[in-house]
Amino acid sequence: MNLRQKLLLLLSLTVAVVVLAVAWTVLVRIRLVFEQRDQQETALFVSQFQREFQHRSDEVAAAVDRMAASERVRGMAFELAQSGDPSQYVNEAQTLAQESQLDFLEIVGPDGKIVSSAQWPARFGYPEPAAIQTAATFLKREDLPDGSAVLGIFAVRTLRSGTESELRLVAGKRLDQSFLADLPVVPGMLIGLYSDSMSAAAATSPASFDPKLLIAPAGEVPGADRYQSLIDSARRSGQQTSGILYLNGQRGDSVNATAIPLKDDTGNVLAVLTVAISRENMIEAQQHIRAIAYGVASGGILLAILASLWIAARVSRPIEQLARAAEQVAAGNWETTVPERKRVRGRDEVDVLASGFNHMTAQLAAQRDRLVQSERVAAWRELARRLAHELKNPLFPLQLTVENLVRARELPAAQFDEVFRESTQTLSMEIANLKSIIARFSDFSKMPKPLLERIDAKDIVERARFLYEAAGQNEAKIRFNVELSSEPMPLDADPELLHRALSNLLLNAIDAMTEGGTLTISAEPRDDLVEIRVADTGAGLTPEECERLFTPYYTTKQHGTGLGLAIVQSVVADHAGTIAVESPPEGGAVFVITLPKASEA
Amino acid sequence: MPNLPALLAGDEYLIANDPGGNIGTGPFQLNGFKDAVLTLSANDNCWQGRPFVDSVEIRVHRSIRDQWLDISVGSADLVDVPAEQLRKAHEQRLTVLQSPPVLLLALSVSSSGTLGNPDLRAAIALAVDRGALSNVIFQKQGEVTASLLPGTLTGYSFLFPAERDLNKSHEKHGGLTPPPLTLAAEGGSTMQLAAQRIALNLREAGFNVRVVAAGGAQPADLALRTLPLASSQPRTALESILRGADVQTPVLEQTPDGLFRVEREFLDAHTLIPLLYLPRAYAVGGRVRDLRLSTDGTPLLAGAALQDTP
Repeated sequence: MNLRQKLLLLLSLTVAVVVLAVAWTVLVRIRLVFEQRDQQETALFVSQFQREFQHRSDEVAAAVDRMAASERVRGMAFELAQSGDPSQYVNEAQTLAQESQLDFLEIVGPDGKIVSSAQWPARFGYPEPAAIQTAATFLKREDLPDGSAVLGIFAVRTLRSGTESELRLVAGKRLDQSFLADLPVVPGMLIGLYSDSMSAAAATSPASFDPKLLIAPAGEVPGADRYQSLIDSARRSGQQTSGILYLNGQRGDSVNATAIPLKDDTGNVLAVLTVAISRENMIEAQQHIRAIAYGVASGGILLAILASLWIAARVSRPIEQLARAAEQVAAGNWETTVPERKRVRGRDEVDVLASGFNHMTAQLAAQRDRLVQSERVAAWRELARRLAHELKNPLFPLQLTVENLVRARELPAAQFDEVFRESTQTLSMEIANLKSIIARFSDFSKMPKPLLERIDAKDIVERARFLYEAAGQNEAKIRFNVELSSEPMPLDADPELLHRALSNLLLNAIDAMTEGGTLTISAEPRDDLVEIRVADTGAGLTPEECERLFTPYYTTKQHGTGLGLAIVQSVVADHAGTIAVESPPEGGAVFVITLPKASEA
Repeated sequence: MPNLPALLAGDEYLIANDPGGNIGTGPFQLNGFKDAVLTLSANDNCWQGRPFVDSVEIRVHRSIRDQWLDISVGSADLVDVPAEQLRKAHEQRLTVLQSPPVLLLALSVSSSGTLGNPDLRAAIALAVDRGALSNVIFQKQGEVTASLLPGTLTGYSFLFPAERDLNKSHEKHGGLTPPPLTLAAEGGSTMQLAAQRIALNLREAGFNVRVVAAGGAQPADLALRTLPLASSQPRTALESILRGADVQTPVLEQTPDGLFRVEREFLDAHTLIPLLYLPRAYAVGGRVRDLRLSTDGTPLLAGAALQDTP
């Protein structure tokens, strides 16, 4: 992954994360605000509903008050007090309840027994415990002749017709579907009533939840089973309980529901009134806002990616140019420069870097030129020194011979002839020596180009051993040890130049082992290379010698020219190979030549 | 059978068809039923002679209040007054003809199924509060009875205890939990109310009783019904009551002791629990003359006359 891609990825990720974080925060905040408002609205609606519920309770109380104040009931109370015979009023409650539009009415005599009952006419003569209620209105589960029980809002009024005798009216309205239907609801509000149909006497403990018992004004409550937890909680705790209910698993069909326990005077929960307000509108608004947020976020991310592309390209282009320029410099093209941007105002770091790079390459080129110049001067000095050294040795005998010859001219002819002959021989030898020195220098300067052909490294090694093994064993008692791999080691190389380089190394090794030793030549393939090692057991080299060994004209020998290893290095380099020297502290030196292995094909 | 003529004279053996198209052999023949009005016309060929009244219209499905209004304005001459409305009829100063107690209100108890256990039937008989039925529902117009025949006919009615004994009922019930029972009531709202009251009484005794409409597909376990006292002769009356209770065995006993034994044996089975004897009563219009009631409480229309209106 290059810099531009990294920059693009980093910028895109950064912007995307930021955009998503902002979008998420906004959405969460909006959801919280919506839910808070929804809960407030629900609480308001529930409060209004409770007021309306109380208003209906007050209406029941008012109806009972009106009934109690009617002439008919007052007359009945008077006559009952006078006659003491309640039997004639056994059907009176039904008529009175019908006239007052009440569902329940029981006329209870002074003895606390029912004189007449509208909802269960056959109950006359039985006691009615609710007759002693003091609350203005209260809830009561009323048993019916068919064995069922219904919930009602009741009120009790007492009529005194004498000092002791009194008549009580226990009247109420049924809390059922029609009652729920009369209650005002706002759009989206659904009210329900959960009440056990079991009679009060039979209901010793709260029965398990039955969804069919939850009724709405229009009949069944959709998703009634979802209300179970809320209703059970309200029934257990006796406290108003609220929560969000998902009616069919979808968010859009959820409601904000409140379960209001309806209790009797002893605190027993007789029924639970549920007020559910649809969250559909809120969810739709949320989804609309979410869709907008997602659209904005997506657009933002897309724009961010495009901007990142532009920024990455703008930032990375000069760096890429710098990188390419650095690669060219590394490849030896020191004249490489990078274009510098012309800015009207200010310069950034990349401009400084480009300028510095160009300055650096210019400096490097200048320094290289100076170094080449100084090296050239140094080389000429070294060459001059070496030449002076090499030429001084034969010149001194030449001078002495010439001076001796001049002095010998005064000698007798026979002696002169003898001296002349000896002197001319010496002069010839020294001149030949001078020619040899000049030839070696000439050879170094005229290193030929390698003529490549397919050879095997084994052949080169065997040829060198064949040539020098006998000489080494005879002159210095050197034992030759050759280790060759059985695998083929093909090379595209000039056999003569390689032989010459290897011969140089073998001769150096033989020279290093004046007291004898072991000369090991090995060749083996290493991946796509062929490694040729020449190891001796001589005195070894110092680290400094190892470092300077391949420098032309450097030698550790008394009479060396310092060109042998330089020629070896030149040959190896011409074959795209490398040469290195290792010298362990215990002695000996190992020259390692690595050459690229030719392809098998 | 010495009482064969009496039996044949019963309503169930009424010969009701003749080739002329009119229905009935008595003083009046049925002409038709249209718009909730049943029309009877005088039978010229009646063996007792033609009645004085030419025709009788019986209007059905009219409330008691409307019927009494009809009497007041003269658009009706005779209306039925249920026993529980007698007090009101007197309060409204209507002319009322009232028979002696001639209708036996009884609770018929099934002897099969759950109630095949005689102890449970006995518990039901002990749990019913006859006093409440008589005093409140029937407005003190009925006679509480635990016997099939009224005391005015036999004199031994007091030997059958009519008081409610809830404790004994519980003993007979034995703490059993019988399945829910059904109670059907024949008749109008008062009979339904009486049935509800009996159901309430039985609930106190440990029975779960549900009041159902009469004539359902399944026969009810209990049935509240009225049985007419067809004759002033004890044996004939007893026979008619037993026949009404689906007991076809003829009563051969003639003496009060014998009749008592027959009643005792029958009532000990608790398949029919006598509750009340009720009278028949009628409100009579101002132009009706010489109307009397027969021994079974039905009006003798043949002997009645209508005064012409000016």
